[in-house]
Amino acid sequence: MNLSQFKTILRQVFLLPVVALLVVAGALYVQIRGANVTVNLIQDSDARISQATLVSKLIVDEESGLRGYETTGDSRFLQPYADAESRLQKEIQNLDQVAGGDADQKHDIADLRDEHQTWRDAFALPIIATVRGGGQTNDVDLNLHGKVLMDAVRHDLTDIIQKAEANRARRIARWHRQVRTMLMGLLVLALGMGILIGLFTRSRLHAVSDAYQSSLDILSRRAEELFQSEQQLRTTLDSIGDGVITCDAEGLVQLMNPVARELTGWSQTEANGRPLEEVFRIINETTREPMETPVAKVKRLDKTVGMASHHTILLRKDGTEMDISDSGAPIRDKKGETSGIVLVFRDITMERKTQEALMANEKLAVAGRLAATIAHEIHNPLDSVSNLLYLMRNGASQEESSRFMDMAEQELARVTQISRAMLGLYRESKAPVVVDLKEMLEEILLLMERRLNDLGVTVSTEMPKPVEVAAFPAELRQVFTNLVTNAAEAAGTGGAVKVSVAPRCAGIDAIGQKQQPGATVTIADNGPGIPDDIQPHLFQPFFTTKGEHGTGLGLWVSRGIVNKHGGAIALNSVTGTAHGTIVSVFLATNPTINAGGD
Amino acid sequence: MKGTFVYSRVILRSDTGQNSMKPNSHLVLVVDDEQIGLEVRKILLERSGYRVLTASDGPAGLEIFSAEPVEAVVLDYSMPGMHGGEVAARMRQAKPQVPILLLSAYIGLSAEVTSVVDLYMTKGEGAPVLLEKLGSLLDPISIP
Repeated sequence: MNLSQFKTILRQVFLLPVVALLVVAGALYVQIRGANVTVNLIQDSDARISQATLVSKLIVDEESGLRGYETTGDSRFLQPYADAESRLQKEIQNLDQVAGGDADQKHDIADLRDEHQTWRDAFALPIIATVRGGGQTNDVDLNLHGKVLMDAVRHDLTDIIQKAEANRARRIARWHRQVRTMLMGLLVLALGMGILIGLFTRSRLHAVSDAYQSSLDILSRRAEELFQSEQQLRTTLDSIGDGVITCDAEGLVQLMNPVARELTGWSQTEANGRPLEEVFRIINETTREPMETPVAKVKRLDKTVGMASHHTILLRKDGTEMDISDSGAPIRDKKGETSGIVLVFRDITMERKTQEALMANEKLAVAGRLAATIAHEIHNPLDSVSNLLYLMRNGASQEESSRFMDMAEQELARVTQISRAMLGLYRESKAPVVVDLKEMLEEILLLMERRLNDLGVTVSTEMPKPVEVAAFPAELRQVFTNLVTNAAEAAGTGGAVKVSVAPRCAGIDAIGQKQQPGATVTIADNGPGIPDDIQPHLFQPFFTTKGEHGTGLGLWVSRGIVNKHGGAIALNSVTGTAHGTIVSVFLATNPTINAGGD
Repeated sequence: MKGTFVYSRVILRSDTGQNSMKPNSHLVLVVDDEQIGLEVRKILLERSGYRVLTASDGPAGLEIFSAEPVEAVVLDYSMPGMHGGEVAARMRQAKPQVPILLLSAYIGLSAEVTSVVDLYMTKGEGAPVLLEKLGSLLDPISIP
């Protein structure tokens, strides 16, 4: 039921009784008017009766006056007669008027007038004249005649009065009837309207109460659904395998799921309402400085911040440390305002160990791949030296020996060069040292000469001048060896690989970012190129295009090392007619070393 | 060695004068892509009484092998293009009776390779061993 429907009901419930009562009032009014009319009629009858009575009295006065005069002969006794007589005409006239439209009454009154006139003319006046003349009026017959006439008059009057009284009685009865009707009608109407109002109101109230009830039902159902949904979400949250912490907009902890509680070492009650920094203490792995929590970052930037670099250590409640990876995101309400922040994190100790193992493994694999080179580049010269020594021992002339010794020296120098390069691959310095990229690349190409020849690949270089950067030499060697190997294998028999290094000055790059001074090493091959759908995967771990022979780790490790050196590695490849691949590695002259790489 | 690798065919005729005197000196073909190693081995063998022909790669070696009355071959395994195993196989097809000694800087060559040749040894074992083994292939009795 909506508001307008409810208002309609209110209106109806208000108006109906009013209307019903008006109807009753109307009926009542009609009845009363009817009764009033009857009362008026009764009053008319009353008026008629009293008038007739008055006339009767006057006639009696007349008669008694006359009789008195008749008896005494004194004219004083005639006074009533005279008074009455003077009034009588008028009063009879009034009586006539009062009779109204009643024809019967009028007839009676006319009769009365006539009779009275007759009495007067025939009896009263003669008597008066006689008495005035001194005559005698005791005559019985005369008086009898007068009496008869008077009887007639009286008879008429009585008639009139009786009829008027009958009328009156009839009218009173009618009035009584009307009143009774009115009362009954009133009763019936009252009852009827009452019931009508009652029923109507009840039905409207039912409608309202039903609507109310159904609203309550809906509310209770919704509440139930809400509860269920909340339960489900809560269960889901509790089941998530990563730690989840939600904070309010101020960064105070509201909720921690079981994994979060376990990882941080704080229980829900202890952590509730505390600032996140107290519960989720993170420090940077290398600097050991406290780090900005994702929640603080989200508050600051007002957007999702992804997993930070993998060098965050969580200090648990008991003080132990754990490698973690974390991310935070704002919780927005319907208006888009930040109503809270949610933080997700997990223990990456195993992940880190695996990664380290993989990288160590790759290092060894790189070395292993150069085994062929070692064998050759050391055995061959040593074999020659051994042969030369044998010759020198077994009858060589001075001149020959001298020549032999020169050759031996030459071969030994080769061995030394290669073995030094080999050792460089393993030994790692604690801090970056200044490295000449030109020299390093030349060494690597020397080491790989055998392999490159075996593959039938032509190598050209463009390294005009020494270029120095600060770096970890062994790691850079690993990178370049990997890249040159990839290039050679791609170029294939008859293919060409070009290695160049060039310095790069400080400046602003194409997108307006400041560039550090450094050097770019470029390794290009004219192999078939890398298809566009493969290119995004190249730097992913375990992705290889070399089937069984590739570990898929070379580029991933290389990128990690380059990133660690604060540099950048980029790959451009074209398939089709102008096919080939170019890998560029930029290294800053004085980089900020990022511990741990990627 | 920088720059473009150039296939070069080097055919050296032994000309030291010492060995051409010996009537029953054997003609040996040495194949190796290592220039210095090849030269040193040649000198060694000549001083030991052999006549030596050399080649720096498989194809050149095969040419000489078919053209000359080579009595034994000292063959390096790892060479660009055609490696020693392949060369040996072809030599076997051409003149199966000629003994082949395979030299290698590697350890653990596959059985298919070692089965083709008569003898197999690694570089670095030393000159005496090489001479001994070569002698045993050619002539069990004569030891230079």
